[in-house]
Amino acid sequence: MIVVKDLVRQFKSGDRTIKPVNGVSFELEKGSLASIVGKSGSGKSTLLSLLGALDKPTSGDVVVDGVSLAGLPDGKLTEYRRRDIGFVFQQFNLIPNLSAVDNVMLPMEFAGVRKAARLQRAKELLEQVQLDPEKHSRRTNRLSGGEQQRVAIARALANEPKLILADEPTGNLDEQTGEHIIELLSSLSRDHNTTILVVTHDRSLAQKTERCFRLQQGKLTEEVRTGSRR
Amino acid sequence: MSVLARSVGNAFRNKIRTAAVVAVLAVAIGLALAMLVANQAVGAKVQELNASVGTTLTVNPAGGQGFEGGGEPLTTAEAETAASVANVTAVVGTKALRLQTATTADSSTATTQPGPGGGFGPGGQQATVSTNLMAAVDAGTLGNRNGSAGTTGATGTSGTTTQPSRTLPITATGIGAEVDGTGKALDITSGTGLGDYTASEAKALVGTSLAEKNSLTVGSTFTIQDKTFTVAGIFDAGTTFGNNAVYVTLPEAQTLAETPDELSTMIVTVNSMENVDSTKTAVQAALGTDKADVTQGQRNLETAVSSLDSVKNISLIAFIAALATAGIIILLIMVMLVRERRREIGVLKAIGARNRTIGLQFVLESLVLVALGSVVGAVIASLASGGIASALISSNTTTTAATTTQRGGGLAGAMPNGAVPGGGMPGGGMGGGQGGPFGGASQLLTSVTASVSPGVLAAGIAAVFAVAIIGALVPALLTARIRPIEVLRGE
Repeated sequence: MIVVKDLVRQFKSGDRTIKPVNGVSFELEKGSLASIVGKSGSGKSTLLSLLGALDKPTSGDVVVDGVSLAGLPDGKLTEYRRRDIGFVFQQFNLIPNLSAVDNVMLPMEFAGVRKAARLQRAKELLEQVQLDPEKHSRRTNRLSGGEQQRVAIARALANEPKLILADEPTGNLDEQTGEHIIELLSSLSRDHNTTILVVTHDRSLAQKTERCFRLQQGKLTEEVRTGSRR
Repeated sequence: MSVLARSVGNAFRNKIRTAAVVAVLAVAIGLALAMLVANQAVGAKVQELNASVGTTLTVNPAGGQGFEGGGEPLTTAEAETAASVANVTAVVGTKALRLQTATTADSSTATTQPGPGGGFGPGGQQATVSTNLMAAVDAGTLGNRNGSAGTTGATGTSGTTTQPSRTLPITATGIGAEVDGTGKALDITSGTGLGDYTASEAKALVGTSLAEKNSLTVGSTFTIQDKTFTVAGIFDAGTTFGNNAVYVTLPEAQTLAETPDELSTMIVTVNSMENVDSTKTAVQAALGTDKADVTQGQRNLETAVSSLDSVKNISLIAFIAALATAGIIILLIMVMLVRERRREIGVLKAIGARNRTIGLQFVLESLVLVALGSVVGAVIASLASGGIASALISSNTTTTAATTTQRGGGLAGAMPNGAVPGGGMPGGGMGGGQGGPFGGASQLLTSVTASVSPGVLAAGIAAVFAVAIIGALVPALLTARIRPIEVLRGE
């Protein structure tokens, strides 16, 4: 359960103050798949970075399972990212000189999981995201875009997070591969009971999520749906 | 995959760059290590010099030195007077003898007895006695020149018609302790010392080359003035001249010279470096300025030691500079790597890496580079340090060596046959070749050998690693300032 309360983030740009996120409030139930759509520069990524504790809000708060992020010191925020958040990026952001398995094992290493256990779990996760076993030990800069994104999703799942934040996960992929990734995310949210929030400007992707928010000039509005997506 | 494995992997991410960095580091580290080795070698030599000659005073009869000059000889009583001066720990008397090979002695009437006008120089200080030993040094041009000068200068009866084929005399010194003419302990390579140096006993220590020339080993016998001596030990003086010598006990030499109680020189050892100057004055006062000349061995070595000291300082500064260079190379390389991998650092932070984990990863990566640089650098150092040390020494001491030898009397003059201040050795025939005028300073300078000891190398590499860690710490701390939101920035 994630509760966002009146979140504001402002930057100084020259002598102007810009507010890409200006008073955003919403709640997400556990295990739901939601999307945030908006034009480029509408503040989607800023909102995502605030939810993932990559950045600190100017005001407002994010409460995850009753724990408020606003008052947490940097060390605790690192722990929050490690334990409760999984990131999937448009640019994949894998470590290029490490193998797929090593990339998936990385968050578990930071969490102090023993080597044998993290190797086994990494292999299981890579199977879940349907990466060929022969490619498990291949360096990630030698994998295709779709394969890299699968590895990134497996990495995001490594520490069984409460929330997966995906920033344009299909942005660098062709349509068909993008659909596979969306299906994968969708089934993961069902199977793992994980909350997934996808930021996208892809309307067709947004259509497939349970809830869809629209971010416009720093304000969030929920699009009301008729009928179920599933 | 552990932090260490990741760091090693990262160090080789760009192999060409890694090779370039390692090469540059290796030169800096190699230079640092070579300088450290040179510094240690020179430092050890300076210490050795200070320890061996720094606290000794040499007492010669007033107006005489070695076998030159005139005045009254020193006596055993004066040795006791010197020993009673404050801060004096020991007084060793020496008595110089010149051993002339018996066959040559036969051809010249004057050489068998001491006295001016002899074929082989003035004998005031130095008694000439016969022996059956052959000198290990050939007369050569210098010896013959000295010999002819001596002969023509003499009023003797031999004249120029009976000019014999020259055989160089052998130096024999009666010593009151197991030290050579400069007060330095003898290096006995086989056999034993003479035991009680204050007792008259027919035993002798023979220099290595002299022993070889005459096929002497420990237990062999030879004669001096028809008296049979047993070889108790063989010593190595380190020089050709020094090894063409014999040491007997002081009373034995006095008996042979038929001058009991007379001393050629006294070597006075002072208890500490600080007291050398005051003790020198005190000994001079106790003996009387008209009786004895007191010289300080260290004075004459001062220029040599100070030039060695400056080499030591230069090498130390060069070591620190090379070390700092290595540190700066590491610093700049790591700053570059951190900037290059901002986004990746952001990724690591986004997926929950602690700041210290990332910092450690970068420090370890720099240490991998330094380790590679150290291996190559140590090879460079072991090949180059000898050359660097000798280049440093020769460039720094060519001028000082000349000035030192001009005043070389202290070091060499303490030996009865050493170089005499102010010029050659008329009638001496004692030079034994080129060793004479340059025997002192240049020999001690060239004997500085820069050998790469594992201990020094290990200490140097430890210093390199310490500097590398400091150099890598700054970039590692920079990583802590990189915010995880970097991950969302575009390429």
